[in-house]
Amino acid sequence: MLGRGLKRKLSDYEENMAGLSSAFDSSRSLPYPLKRQLVLNMCLTKLQTYKMLVEPNLHRSVLIANTVRQIQEEMRQESNQQPVNICPGLALSSHSYTGVESSGISLQLPSGISQQESNCCDLRSVEDPIENSLLIVSDDDMSSAISSILKDLDFVEDISPPTCLVPTGDDQPKFPENTGLKLEDDRQDLKGAECVFGSFEISNSTSYLKDLAIDDIFEDIDTSMYDSDFCCPPLMPPRSPSLATEEPLKNFPSCNSSSASNIQICRTDLSELDHIMEILVGS
Amino acid sequence: FLGAGGGNDIQWCFSQVKGAVDDDVAEADIISTVEFNHSGELLATGDKGGRVVIFQQEQENKTQSHSRGEYNVYSTFQSHEPEFDYLKSLEIEEKINKIRWLPQKNAAQFLLSTNDKTIKLWKISERDKRPEGYNLKEEDGRYRDPTTVTTLRVPVFRPMDLMVEASPRRIFANAHTYHINSISINSDYETYLSADDLRINLWHLEITDRSFNIVDIKPANMEELTEVITAAEFHPNSCSTFVYSSSKGTIRLCDMRASALCDRHSKLFEEPEDPSNRSFFSEIISSISDVKFSHSGRYMMTRDYLSVKIWDLNMENRPVETYQVHEYLRSKLCSLYENDCIFDKFECCWNGLDRQVEFSLIVMTGSYNNFFRMFDRNTKRDITLEASRENNKPRTVLKPRKVCASGKRKKDEISVDSLDFNKKILHTAWHPKENIIAVATTNNLYIFQDKMN
Repeated sequence: MLGRGLKRKLSDYEENMAGLSSAFDSSRSLPYPLKRQLVLNMCLTKLQTYKMLVEPNLHRSVLIANTVRQIQEEMRQESNQQPVNICPGLALSSHSYTGVESSGISLQLPSGISQQESNCCDLRSVEDPIENSLLIVSDDDMSSAISSILKDLDFVEDISPPTCLVPTGDDQPKFPENTGLKLEDDRQDLKGAECVFGSFEISNSTSYLKDLAIDDIFEDIDTSMYDSDFCCPPLMPPRSPSLATEEPLKNFPSCNSSSASNIQICRTDLSELDHIMEILVGS
Repeated sequence: FLGAGGGNDIQWCFSQVKGAVDDDVAEADIISTVEFNHSGELLATGDKGGRVVIFQQEQENKTQSHSRGEYNVYSTFQSHEPEFDYLKSLEIEEKINKIRWLPQKNAAQFLLSTNDKTIKLWKISERDKRPEGYNLKEEDGRYRDPTTVTTLRVPVFRPMDLMVEASPRRIFANAHTYHINSISINSDYETYLSADDLRINLWHLEITDRSFNIVDIKPANMEELTEVITAAEFHPNSCSTFVYSSSKGTIRLCDMRASALCDRHSKLFEEPEDPSNRSFFSEIISSISDVKFSHSGRYMMTRDYLSVKIWDLNMENRPVETYQVHEYLRSKLCSLYENDCIFDKFECCWNGLDRQVEFSLIVMTGSYNNFFRMFDRNTKRDITLEASRENNKPRTVLKPRKVCASGKRKKDEISVDSLDFNKKILHTAWHPKENIIAVATTNNLYIFQDKMN
């Protein structure tokens, strides 16, 4: 079925996890921190899998996120009480969660760690496969996993269509009032511009691209270097001051997008607006 | 017979089973809801393919006094179709989440059925007569040559084979951003509520273009979301009162007279956590999957992953009774979390009321391995039965089952590790007036009734 999401074909990984969880259930000798680590990894893996779905299950995502929060809180309290036992250099970057590798999450812990780990808790009684299968997770990783899945669930737009106002004459166009719509800023602005020219076919076709989650289209492109702080300059095309209809474009906002793909779409849109203005003016 | 002894004095016998015999289950055939109508004469099921199948009970056969009427197919129709939301690039599943019957007011029957996004009011009516003797048309529908018409006559109704027609009378759409989990008809029989993960809406059955939002728990920032709505129901007698349950194991009772948006509950029902049972999965297993008022409205029942709890509406701080459905699973929670079974949503139901029983005394709910459980509030006894085609002959009393949690397994017991977690009974229903129950396995519907002497 369309849009159902990916089906994991990680039979090895799944077998591994099934083995670990029955070890959790049956073994009384598993130390508590290890059990907790296992549960945490399972939670994070599930959240990661849900992120890959087009429409993650809200109920499950919230329950799992709460479990992660609970573990996070516990670990924070422990680290507050015993600062000595924090093993430095164990935190892995958040990029390790950008996708489930085909080899599963079986990462060998750096060899130097096992010494330090044994200071934190006695792992000598634990079988090797369990130890080697667990990632050490930082507080930041947990927070970012929770917020990213919940933020994703906010992409679901609330149902109440915006009222779209068309400009008359030289009046500056009003952007649609979004009663109850909770869109991200850049999308809202783009929609506003598109509403002004709503009757033009060109605008309507590009609006389809805007409404899709941009990230999905360009998923395989590494945009990490464009993340967070990248801000494109205001995109005002050069034009002759004689155009009386320049007015409507003044309010066209700068794109505050964080990825190169958004910028490309802004530029395309503006050059088409340019084209439309030329038609209107008849030059 | 029910009043004195309760659940265990009822001897349940296999009556019928509906559905394919194959082990290979077609996904569209997975039963997703089961509901008797108010008289019990009709039994509706909804499935993952968006279809509704209604069975009708035969009138009691005087010669066969030892069994009640059988249920046979009365009507089948496609209630919901799969939809594609182009704006969000999302497919909207056609699976029927809930069916609720309206009480009968005239010859036709009405029910509400809902998928994740849209609720529909269906009219099911019978046609057993048709007009004959038109002036301008032949019997087969061809038009007559007008010049051959020399006399006029009035068409008359003649009997025909019974035809049952289902037609959609109202479509209540575009009011839910999140997935609808419950619908509940108010005791005024004019309004109903629909609940999704974060909001509850109130509708009038006649009006489809607007609904009132009465509960909204969506936070301004979704990252702060920690709780979702899991079920909601109107009080059976008080038309301004309803309850909704949450994923944190709480139930809130709201009065619509207090304010337009019932954001502040009138009562909050919550049991403090038992510290000895605390685990990483405590919150997940506390999530309530179903809530049902008792017939009088004095009590309500909630189902969470491992137990059924009975609450007295006058006591908010703890349930009055708790019944363990499958406590032996508590030591398997990590495995059940890993394979997602921990998120299974089991429903629960009360016994029906007949001449001798005026109270809600027995609770029924499903479990794994096609087992289902009944608890008698009076005697405190419980029973485990199995819905399976093997060893099921009509009028043979069902044999009670037992799960061996640990230690040496006795004969006829089944060990926890042998349970089939793919065979789950999520939906059960009890006839409102007789001891007849409908139990849905993955794709089969079993009907059991008590052994009449």
